[in-house]
Amino acid sequence: MNSSSATPGRLDLRTLLQGQADKLRLWTQPGHSRSIVFNVAVIFLGAGLYGAAMGWWREPLQGFYVALKFPLIILLTALGNALLNAMLAPLLGLNLSFRQSLLAILMSFTITAAILGAFSPLAAFVIWNAPAMTPDVKSTLTYGFIKLLHVAVIAFAGIAGTVRLYQLLAELGGSKAVARRVLLAWLAGNLFLGSQLTWIARPFIGAPHLPVVFLRDTALQGNFYENVFATLKQLLGVN
Amino acid sequence: MNDLNPTGPIPPQLPTPTYPIRAPLGESPEEREPIPNLFAATEAVLRQPRRVMYHLRQPGSGRIVIAMLFVAMLCAAGYGVVVGTFSSGAQLWIAPVKIVGGLLLATLICLPSLYIFACLSGSQARLMEIVGLVTGLLLLTTLLLIGFAPVAWLFSQSTDSLAWMGTLHLVFWGIATVFGLRFLENGFAHTKARSNAGLMTWVVIFVLVVLQMTTALRPIVGTAETFLPQEKKFFLSHWGDSLKSSLD
Amino acid sequence: MSASAFNPNTPTAFLRAEPTRLRQWVTQRPANLVGCCLAAVVLGAGTYGAVMGCWRDPWQALYTGIKLPLVILLTTLGNGLLNGMLAPLLGFNATFRQSLTIVLLTFATASIILGALSPVALFVVWNTPSLSGATQLSSPEYGFMQLTLAGLIASAGVAGNVHVLPLLTQWTRSVGVARKVLLAWLAGNLFLGSQICWILRPFIWDPAGPTRFIGREYFRGSFYETVFEAVRRLFFAWG
Repeated sequence: MNSSSATPGRLDLRTLLQGQADKLRLWTQPGHSRSIVFNVAVIFLGAGLYGAAMGWWREPLQGFYVALKFPLIILLTALGNALLNAMLAPLLGLNLSFRQSLLAILMSFTITAAILGAFSPLAAFVIWNAPAMTPDVKSTLTYGFIKLLHVAVIAFAGIAGTVRLYQLLAELGGSKAVARRVLLAWLAGNLFLGSQLTWIARPFIGAPHLPVVFLRDTALQGNFYENVFATLKQLLGVN
Repeated sequence: MNDLNPTGPIPPQLPTPTYPIRAPLGESPEEREPIPNLFAATEAVLRQPRRVMYHLRQPGSGRIVIAMLFVAMLCAAGYGVVVGTFSSGAQLWIAPVKIVGGLLLATLICLPSLYIFACLSGSQARLMEIVGLVTGLLLLTTLLLIGFAPVAWLFSQSTDSLAWMGTLHLVFWGIATVFGLRFLENGFAHTKARSNAGLMTWVVIFVLVVLQMTTALRPIVGTAETFLPQEKKFFLSHWGDSLKSSLD
Repeated sequence: MSASAFNPNTPTAFLRAEPTRLRQWVTQRPANLVGCCLAAVVLGAGTYGAVMGCWRDPWQALYTGIKLPLVILLTTLGNGLLNGMLAPLLGFNATFRQSLTIVLLTFATASIILGALSPVALFVVWNTPSLSGATQLSSPEYGFMQLTLAGLIASAGVAGNVHVLPLLTQWTRSVGVARKVLLAWLAGNLFLGSQICWILRPFIWDPAGPTRFIGREYFRGSFYETVFEAVRRLFFAWG
C-alpha cells in the first residue's frame, strides 16, 4: 500500500494515544494544517487542566496562572527548538522537513498533555484532600507527597509521549537506530530549553509566604543550571 | 525450524549494507541536479550533502562556494547578534563583526595546511574543492548555531554570569562544529585520499585556532574599553582567569 | 602518459604522487625533481623560519628565513655520503644520487608542510606576548611558543618521512628494509641536523645580545638540552 497517498482521516486522540505510527505519519505530511490546531488545543486543555490542579493548592488564581504557564512552556519549548530539531533530523539520517519535525514533536507533547489531562482529576482530588498551606508547608509530609506525585505523573506522561515519538520516528525513517539517534538529540535539546523555561515560569505550586504572581520579579535572574550548580556546591561544601 | 543441520538449499546471503557515502558522487540523478541559488545550497548542505560535494567537483563550482560562504557569514552574524544581546549596547555590532571576522581569519589561516595535508594523503581534490568543503563546514556550523540561537538568547536574557554564557556558546559551537566536520570528512572521503590522518591532524589545528581566536578577539560575550584586547593570552589561561573571577 | 603529467612541475605534484610515479621521477628525471625540491625547501622552510623570527624583529625574521632552509640543505649534504652508504648496507640497492634525492624529497615534503603551517605559526606568534624587558627565557609564554614551533617542525618532519615510506617499500619490496633504511637516515639526519641548528642559533631570540645571523655561543650545549629545559620549565617548574 502506498501510504503516502492514503487518506489519513480525522486525527483523534485515540489514534494518537494508541500510537498508530502509520496513521500518524500521514498526519505529518503537508496539507494537514488542521492537525496543528488539534495538537495545540489538546496541549492547552490537557496541560492546562493539570496545571490548574497543581496551582489550586496555593490559591485559585495560582491555579489559573499555572493553567496558562504549563501549556505555554510546552509550546515554547517546541517552537524554540523547532529550527534546531529540524536541522538535527536530516543531519542524523532522518530526512524530515521543518513542518514534519515540528509536528512529530507536537504530537508527542500532545500525548503527554493528554495523559496529564487525564490525571488532572486525580491531582485535583489529592489537592482537595490536602490540608491548607501553612507557613511551614515545605517541611511537611503532605508537601513532599504532592511534589512527588506531580513528578511521577509528569515523568510518566513524558515517557509515554517519548515512546510514541520514537515509534513515529522509526516509522518515518524506517530505521530504529536512526530514530533513536534523532530522539536522543531532540530530547537533549528539549530538556535543556524546557528546564530553563520552567525555571523562568516558576512558581508552580507556590508558597504561602510569597505573593501569587504570574512570573516572579526575579524570573529572568539566574538560570536553572546555575542554581543546580550552586546547590551541588552547597551539598559538597565547596566554597 | 529447530533442525540444526538443515539439508535444504542455503538461503541467499543478504547483501552487505553499504553506507551510501561510499557510492561514487553523482551516481543518483538527484545528486546531479543543479544548485541554482542560496536557498538551494543551504537546503542541500543539510539534506543532500552529497549533492553539494558532487557540484563542488564540477567546473564553475566557485559560484556555489561564494553562495555558501555568504550564507555562512550571514548566519554567523545572526548568531553574533544573539551573543551580543548578553551585554547589549555596542556589543550588538561588535560581537557579530568579531565572530564573522574570526571565523574567516581562522579559515584563512588553516586553509593552506588542509590543502597540503590533502595532497599529502594522495587526495586528487582541486584547491577549489577543498575551499568548497571548508565552506560547507562553515555553513553547516553556522546554520546549526542559528538553530541554537533561540536557546542562547533565552539564557543571555536570564543570566549574569559571563563564564556560564561563554561556556554555553562554546558548547553550542562544539556541537555545531562536530556536524560541520562530519561534512568535511565525508567530502574528503570522495577525494581518493589514501588515509585521513592528515585531515584529523588538521581538525585538531582548526579547532585550536578557532578557540584561540575567541581569546585573541576578546571580549565577544562581555564588554571592554577597547575593541581588541591589550594583553595577549592563550585561551586556556584566559578561560582559567574568567572562571576564577566568576567563582569569586 | 603526457610529459607534463610526468614532470614534478608543481610543489604539490610530488605530495600527491603515487610511489610508482615518484620512483620514475627519482630514476628518470632527478634534475627536475631536485630543482623542485630545492625550491620547496627554500620557500616552505624559509617562510616558516621568517615567521619564527618575526616574534623578535624583522631582521631576526630575515635571518631565520635564511637559516632554516640552510639547516635542511646542510644536513642533506652533510649526511649525503653516510646515507648513500647506509642504504645498500641495509638492503636498499640505490645509487648515491638516488638516496640523496630521496632524502631531499623527504625534507622538501616537510618544508612544504611547514610553509602551509606558517599562517598557523604566525597566529601562535601573534598571540604570544611581545618581547619586552620582562621577558625571560624561563617565561612560560616563551616556552610555550618555542615548544609549539618545535612541535610543528617535528610533525612536519615525521610527515615527510612517512610520505617517503611507501616509495622505499615499493622500491625495496620489503616493509622491514624500508623502515630500517628510513630509521637509519632519520637518526643520522636528526643527529647532524640538531647540531647544525645549534650552531646556527638563535632562531627565535637570544637574550644575551642584539640580533645577529649567528649567535656568540655556537659550539656550546645542544639542541636537545634546550628543548628539555623548556619542557622542564613548562611542566615541572610552573610558577
